[in-house]
Amino acid sequence: MALANPTLAAIRYGYGLRPGQKPATDADALLAQLKAGAAQKPRFPREGIVGRKEAATRIVSLRAAEAKAAKEGKPNEAIRQQTQKEAQQIYRQDAMARLSQAVQSPYGFYERLACFWVDHFSVSALKSLPMRMLVPLYEAQAIRPNMTGPFRQLLQASILNPAMLIYLDQDQSVGPDSPAGRRNGRGLNENLGRELLELHTLGAGSGYTQDDVRNAALVLTGLSVDNRSLEVVFRPRFAQEGPLAVLGHSYDDDEGSGQDHLLLLDDLAANPKTAQHICRKLAAHFITDDPPQDIVSAMTGAWQESNGNLTEVYRAMLTHPRAWSDPGQKVKQPFDFIVSGLRALDLPDESFTTVLQDMDDEDNKVGPVGKAMQMAGVGVSQEEARRRAGRTNALTLGALQRMGQPIWQPSSPAGFPDTANAWLSASQLSERIAWARMVARIFGQKREPMDFLDVALAEAASPQTRKIISQAPNRIHGLTMVMASPEFNRR
Amino acid sequence: MTREQSFLLSRRGFLAGACCAAAAPVLTPVTFAAMPGENRFVTIVLRGAMDGLDLVQPYGDPAFAALRPKLGLTPDTGLLDLDGFFGLNPAAADLLPLWKAGELSFVQAVSTPYRNQRSHFDGQDILETGGNDKSQKTGWLNRTIAAIPRGESRRAIDVSSSMELILTGPSDADSWSSQTNFALAEDEIHFLDRLYAEDAAFARVFDEAKQTSSSADSLYGDAKRGGGIVDIARLAGGMLTKDYRLASFSINGWDTHVGQQAQFRKAAGDLTVAITTLKQAMGDDVWKKTVVLAITEFGRTARENGTGGTDHGTGGTAVLAGGAIIGGKVLGDWPGLGDDKLLDGRDLMPTGDVREVAAAMLYRQFGIEPSVLTGKVFPGLSFDASSPYMKV
Repeated sequence: MALANPTLAAIRYGYGLRPGQKPATDADALLAQLKAGAAQKPRFPREGIVGRKEAATRIVSLRAAEAKAAKEGKPNEAIRQQTQKEAQQIYRQDAMARLSQAVQSPYGFYERLACFWVDHFSVSALKSLPMRMLVPLYEAQAIRPNMTGPFRQLLQASILNPAMLIYLDQDQSVGPDSPAGRRNGRGLNENLGRELLELHTLGAGSGYTQDDVRNAALVLTGLSVDNRSLEVVFRPRFAQEGPLAVLGHSYDDDEGSGQDHLLLLDDLAANPKTAQHICRKLAAHFITDDPPQDIVSAMTGAWQESNGNLTEVYRAMLTHPRAWSDPGQKVKQPFDFIVSGLRALDLPDESFTTVLQDMDDEDNKVGPVGKAMQMAGVGVSQEEARRRAGRTNALTLGALQRMGQPIWQPSSPAGFPDTANAWLSASQLSERIAWARMVARIFGQKREPMDFLDVALAEAASPQTRKIISQAPNRIHGLTMVMASPEFNRR
Repeated sequence: MTREQSFLLSRRGFLAGACCAAAAPVLTPVTFAAMPGENRFVTIVLRGAMDGLDLVQPYGDPAFAALRPKLGLTPDTGLLDLDGFFGLNPAAADLLPLWKAGELSFVQAVSTPYRNQRSHFDGQDILETGGNDKSQKTGWLNRTIAAIPRGESRRAIDVSSSMELILTGPSDADSWSSQTNFALAEDEIHFLDRLYAEDAAFARVFDEAKQTSSSADSLYGDAKRGGGIVDIARLAGGMLTKDYRLASFSINGWDTHVGQQAQFRKAAGDLTVAITTLKQAMGDDVWKKTVVLAITEFGRTARENGTGGTDHGTGGTAVLAGGAIIGGKVLGDWPGLGDDKLLDGRDLMPTGDVREVAAAMLYRQFGIEPSVLTGKVFPGLSFDASSPYMKV
């Protein structure tokens, strides 16, 4: 077995090096992070799971009441605006908490897997107002607790979650021959059925047919979301009657117990094509865009032997020699880039938000300056206000937006692009250089570029990069180049 | 002209200045100090090591042409003659009116006490902290604030998105940026080229970014870079017309290892624009009470290198501007460029301490006692009221 290397472990399987956090030294240490990571409560939803459900249902019912009143000619614009603002705030705070979770956590592999799986089972907070509040809940409830056991369990938790059912329109889908379908002519929405086969389990081009897609969607009918409680419900009146054939298996739920979709999920989880699809995707995400068959085979072998136990699959990947060779074949995604930058800068833990708060306060401190400048006719009060509001955002959520990876807002159900080329473009690199320059100016004044290089990249920095950084024309540019370097942008 | 003659010329210039000062008593140090709260002082930190031999070229030195076959100019090839020995780089042509009006001087062959290592980071630290070595942790301009006699206005501002070392320390100072992102300087872009050179994919994308990406204009664009420095200088000038008395900002782009001609033209253009914009933003009344001092961490090699540039050196050049100086002079003891005169056979020999220039200006502008200047502001500096810089 190739020697595991702590720097590579931190960069390839985590969010990079952080002073004070000892990087994992081998596969076992990385796997140990999974247990430790799961034992830690995530920083979102900020009110906790129960609190978030209460907040979401309160806001949704306020809006429902207002919508009802509006229909009766008594609209209340204030309620509409205020609830919208509140939901948006909840989302922003959670998104910031998610960023700080990754920046602060010593369990990088666990965090990276959370990102991988939430992207694999993609949902978007942009879908609707309730989704701004439900998506963070989804990650905390469905994804994070289920990443280390059987894939079957993770699949079930993700699909049978209100966020997924809303995102892929399952709450709109009605069996055409179900009692409800026959009565009001509502019909099938294939969205979840298709993505379940194509994205979540078997993989595109793995041999299923359009009939399989349609029948899978029909098997899923009855699954919906209660629009008051925001809980998953099974509505027998929406469910298409069997028998329905998917990939040769017949699903025939005569009793209307609502169990056939569970059987479908279990069968899909157990399908070897699913194992192949997921194992390849994991290796492609962590190691290289086009992973060699040997490592994928090792992983699918572990999958079969363990009935899809994901920890065993990760172990097979991490103990394969390829897991530790040829670093730098992937380009960090923007989230990874920003998190690793903030980690290298060692923003203090409990004060991640405090730091951001301080920055706001610091901006406030220049108030008199802005005033003096106004008096001096320099005309900057507007710019000052913009700067105050913009800086925190520009460093974090705004930067992710500009780089094309806003938190919990993937562009499609397939998630964010994951190939190296997707994140290596002229505008992407320009954004990264600009961001590196900005954080270097704000947090870097007292840092030595060479010390920072050692902190951020250790021996992953090439001799050439080391030499260039040591010669930088000024400190800020030295720090900027550490984060703009190819080594820091690859993993 | 020989080296000895140039030295004499320099001394003559100094004497002429002394003569003028005596003839115009309103400009004596005592008088300056007696004008409470009126005087201003601006520092411009030229980061990356400005090549003073390119800005103020000693074309009269017999060794110069041979050391600088590509970079060296003469009045016949566009150099703007200053005093028959030194000439100004045409990239700074817009400074010539200030020179003629006596509002601009240069000090040649000065440096900080930093020697031998030639690291930008340490060099800039020592330049900004003002000590003999790296032991000082706060900026000398910040320590100046507390040294300005009480009762006078002594507010200070750093025009930068974060406080730079020169103004960091125990006294309150403000920092304010004219915009969030300043464009990259020419040398910084060149460094990025080198950073990406060994990674083909990054090198290709970076080339593309420089050339095509419109979203990258603010990072790489020429127009914006000029705009950036105008904004900074206008902001600093505007603040100084109110109750700010000290201001500081930086100009990057001086690390000209390769293809110096074009890079230097840009950086020198930025410096020129910074000074002319300051004057414009302040207006005549405030400009009259102002000294601008532009300083750099060290100079560059006297000899051109093999890539049309120059490498890290020692002795450098300081720029003085403002209505409060008696300008139109190239100051400093010129050591000469002959082989035996160069430091380590490569660098302009420093003959003066750049901190002495700064100390003299602070004494004149604010009446700070020499004992305070050598004890608190520039620990380790030898300086007293007989310094030749008192009368320039």
